Amino acid sequence: MYLFMFKQFLRTGTCRLGLGLVLFLGLISIITGKQFLNDQEKVASEVVERQLDHIKRNIEFHSDDLGLLLYYLKFTLVNEHDPLSALAIGQKDLNPSVQHVKILTLEGQKYDTDLVNPTKLLYGNLDLSFVLIYVFPLLIIAFTFNLRSEEEETGTWKIVSVMSKSNLKFLLSKLLVRLILLVLLMSFLYLVASIVLNISWGELSFAFFVVGFVYILFWFALSFWIISLKRASNFNALVLLSFWLMLVILSPSVVNTIITNRLPVPEALTTMIRQRDGYHQKWDMDKRGTMEKFYDSYPQFETYGYPPEEGFSWLWYYAMQHLGDEESREESLSMRTKIMQRANLSRKWAKFVPSMHTQLAFNDIAGTGLINHLNFLQHTNTFHENTRLYFYPKIFSNGTAEDVDWDQFKPVYFEDERSSFDWLGNLIPLCTGIVFFFGLSGLSIRNNM
Amino acid sequence: MRKEILLLVAGQFWVSVFKSKAIYPIIGIMLVLLLYAAYSGLSYHDQNHFRTDHQNMARESWEGNPDKHPHRMAHFGTFAFRLKHPLSIFDFGQESYTGNAVFLEAHRQNMVNFSEAGFSTGILRFGELHMAMILQLILPLIIFFIGYAAIVSDRENGTLKILLTQGANWKEILLGRSLGLLAISALFILPFFIMTIVLLLGEGHAASDEWGRLAMSSLTYLVFAVVLCLITIAVSVSSRSSKNALLKLLGLWLLMTVLLPRTSQAIGAYYHPTPTKLEFRASIEEEVIQYGDSHNPNDPYFNALKDSVLKVHKVGSVEELPFNYGGFIMGQGERISAEIYKKHHNQLLDQYRNQNQLTRWLAIVNPYLAVKHLSMALCGTDFESYVDFQGQAENYRYLLSQNMNELQMKYISPNKISGSEGKTHVIDRKEWKALPDFEHRFLPLGKVIKNESISIGSMVLWLTFSIGLVISLSKNAKAI
Repeated sequence: MYLFMFKQFLRTGTCRLGLGLVLFLGLISIITGKQFLNDQEKVASEVVERQLDHIKRNIEFHSDDLGLLLYYLKFTLVNEHDPLSALAIGQKDLNPSVQHVKILTLEGQKYDTDLVNPTKLLYGNLDLSFVLIYVFPLLIIAFTFNLRSEEEETGTWKIVSVMSKSNLKFLLSKLLVRLILLVLLMSFLYLVASIVLNISWGELSFAFFVVGFVYILFWFALSFWIISLKRASNFNALVLLSFWLMLVILSPSVVNTIITNRLPVPEALTTMIRQRDGYHQKWDMDKRGTMEKFYDSYPQFETYGYPPEEGFSWLWYYAMQHLGDEESREESLSMRTKIMQRANLSRKWAKFVPSMHTQLAFNDIAGTGLINHLNFLQHTNTFHENTRLYFYPKIFSNGTAEDVDWDQFKPVYFEDERSSFDWLGNLIPLCTGIVFFFGLSGLSIRNNM
Repeated sequence: MRKEILLLVAGQFWVSVFKSKAIYPIIGIMLVLLLYAAYSGLSYHDQNHFRTDHQNMARESWEGNPDKHPHRMAHFGTFAFRLKHPLSIFDFGQESYTGNAVFLEAHRQNMVNFSEAGFSTGILRFGELHMAMILQLILPLIIFFIGYAAIVSDRENGTLKILLTQGANWKEILLGRSLGLLAISALFILPFFIMTIVLLLGEGHAASDEWGRLAMSSLTYLVFAVVLCLITIAVSVSSRSSKNALLKLLGLWLLMTVLLPRTSQAIGAYYHPTPTKLEFRASIEEEVIQYGDSHNPNDPYFNALKDSVLKVHKVGSVEELPFNYGGFIMGQGERISAEIYKKHHNQLLDQYRNQNQLTRWLAIVNPYLAVKHLSMALCGTDFESYVDFQGQAENYRYLLSQNMNELQMKYISPNKISGSEGKTHVIDRKEWKALPDFEHRFLPLGKVIKNESISIGSMVLWLTFSIGLVISLSKNAKAI
């Protein structure tokens, strides 16, 4: 009987049109992902070569003055990407995955955005996560809204009631046919994607699949509840589409507004001015005061003493640069705290809205969310400090390029810790939704079937 | 076509819609959404205050500098903060994705940083709730919902025949119902513009042409509503059953608002790849170095320049020149690098425009996109408004650097060619005050209209097409 139902369903126009559309969009999403990965890989391969060249060229010019050389030199830190990021590009399209930092004030360097087309960002990426979160529910709605009502409206429901032993079983098997078809469709897209994008099988890629599957189940549960109310096709279509609108468009945008209005980040602008002033105004101050503050942060260098008030010295210059970071630290920290609060608030609200929750889960799995970028920024601090601490004594003792072991300054790769996936935390909110709507369906079936 | 009958049909449709209970919850939902959107639009107020405050803070810091060497000041630099247009209360457009602040210093064009999107989680990507978004996205659904059965259900229950036998003709019925539907849509649109006017009046600082912009954008949404109403009636009259009409309209909505825009943008981006930041910077750097390196004492370009300057002034060395040569040479370097940067940046912007081109032209077949683009542009939140800000910031940066170079040429002793630290070669701090502060100006309305000619053309086209469609359908519509 199932085979017959499959064939029957596959023959309908809705089914063919829907499948065709999703296959087309799925294909575009995989191409989009591939292009994203190519760009990322291009950047990653470019930096290695360029860093070598860049260091070599500058050593040629300034090999006798290490202080001057390091004024020009940039060091590269790369945020490693997982192929999974091609499935859920998240915030990776605007947050740069590479940092090139000099050992000057960091706060003025590390927030540089990537070159972006704002219109492209506005319309959003057509990645697989979009197809799963936006388009699959629409397909589920289109496939199921008239599951029962159509039979009633065309007069076949009575025949079904007489022919089959249980109406409920008949409905469930129709629903199952559609579920199987959509899960097969998703698996197909996922399989193609993993081949094209070189996604290796592991816990994370499995988690991506499972989250997608559970999200689809949620929509089936919701749909089943609406069907079980035994209303007309028009009503079902409208109500289901309203749910879609609520869950996929309105609720997330309302939550987003709450977050941005409640937690504005003017600290970012203040940090920007403070770090400049913190460094630049030192040009007009006593060198001694600057050096004292610098030695407060790094007492190990106090042995280099105090340069004369007249004239220029690299020791003093790098101390000034460091004070730019020192004096904007408070604002910078409070900016970070605000952004963390935003991330946490999003996550909290997302528990109640499956679409948001799924998107955040996908971004987490792919390592393309806001937290990943915050961690990258945090690591940039460490990277910057380590680099500085290596060069400081060499510059302060008036060293030359020959005193440096340049081989160790290849681009550094940062890998965010996200090796394991929080199965319970990610699946419970979705499963609660599924149980809730199946429960409602059960109630309404008991009452009126 | 008789006017009385037209109004009679319209009035009768209006009454019948208000007789059904469904309209009241819809009005309720729209009101809630409107209030919420208005509330979220108010963040404009806070954001602009943050930005003007910081612009002032940067200015104070600039003016607070003691006497110093002008080149130190060129490196001290200042900041440009992007102001939100007052009408961004109504339409957020691309606001959240564009940078808000940029550091302006000599020799270097920095990125415009700190977009709202940079502080946001993936949730932002679901879109934002603002008044224009409700009119673009939700209003069509409401018009479709109220109007999908307008004709077809009368046919289904036979009342259409009665209406026709009573003397009304098809044209009157179709246009009358469209008019009735339009009146109801106007009821939904009007509060949005009243709310915007109230909010604008409550704002102290405003752009000069905002009322003209607002008038144009209300006209845009009115035309949009007319098109939607006519299309709804057209679908209703040409569908076999009300269910069919509803499904067609819902499908149309999904295609036009959700699926097409993102797809066309993705295709546009695929065919017009843009350079990475690294490539972009490197290609500029290479070209600047090819031109000449002003730091290199043996550079042929700058040596030739020096020789010609010495020749013109009939002196043997730069120390004998009547001005500071260091300032002169930096001015030349700045001019060259700024030109090269501008060339590359314009190429990049053109590539972005190419990426957007498909979606822009798609407005011809998708009135939703036409309205979206036009509304953004009128509210100063579109791509071109942002590009304009970038241009203004870069112009100011150039002005500032060259101003400092001129001061150096004029006031710093010709003997002192390089080196700017210390307190010996300095100029009076009153010069810092003399440089005007950065002021962000919005694009003039005429320019906006020119930029949006495709969208405006599309609106006119759709208006004519939908009127023509309904009239032609009225000629061979069937009552049974």
